[in-house]
Amino acid sequence: MASTADEPTMALIVRHDLRLSVGKIAVQCAHAAVSCTLGARKSHTRLVERWRQTGARKICLKVEDLQALQRLAGQAQSAGLVTHLVKDAGHTEVEPGTITVLGIGPGPRRSIDALVGELKPY
Amino acid sequence: MGLRSFIHRMTAPRLRGVLPGGDLKMVFVVNHSLKMGKGKIAAQVGHGAVQSVMEAGVKKPEYLEAWLASGQKKICVKGDDADHLLRLESQAKQNHILTSCVRDAGHTQIPSGSFTILALGPAESDALEPITGTLKLL
Repeated sequence: MASTADEPTMALIVRHDLRLSVGKIAVQCAHAAVSCTLGARKSHTRLVERWRQTGARKICLKVEDLQALQRLAGQAQSAGLVTHLVKDAGHTEVEPGTITVLGIGPGPRRSIDALVGELKPY
Repeated sequence: MGLRSFIHRMTAPRLRGVLPGGDLKMVFVVNHSLKMGKGKIAAQVGHGAVQSVMEAGVKKPEYLEAWLASGQKKICVKGDDADHLLRLESQAKQNHILTSCVRDAGHTQIPSGSFTILALGPAESDALEPITGTLKLL
């Protein structure tokens, strides 16, 4: 296996203040993962391939509120990373249009760690 | 649109086969016996979703398109253990529903190779109902 610092990774960042159920969070994270992958497949084709071949590493982290999530999304975008903010359709637990999860990546592990290294695991 | 995708669109074969009718969704059955943390579950379900999407893109592109266009509906339910997930998988296969299994690399929390998630679909709600309809939401 190549050095782990080089393996691409994906970060899924959950808003902790919404107090969603586990199933709901899982589904929202899946949504972020799918949208990020499809988005990145066009712009970062080789990176996505390498990410999938090295086990499609994902980590799930949390932030306190929407502001923190949006700040992080901005930082990730300026770092040139693929991002996706998941807006819930609001069929079940939250109001329609609520932003629940931010997906970052797949991207180089080093640049993602630099952004989210401080966050707590969910 | 990039040149390559333009050429692809011009030359790609038309989508064939039965067009999906009705509500499409994807169902994730979580192996509850593993007692994974919630972040772990979320990441594993993420794996399942990405795997299923890639597979559906090859095997059932018309289902994938329709599912993506209708808002990527997904639900997450509880399964008892690995045997239960395997039973559901074979049942789904008999009904020609796409399945993919997530096995964990075991870097954290649980033994390597554990069967964590069974992902079903995208498929019609009516086809999934007899298989997962009785399972509890997570």
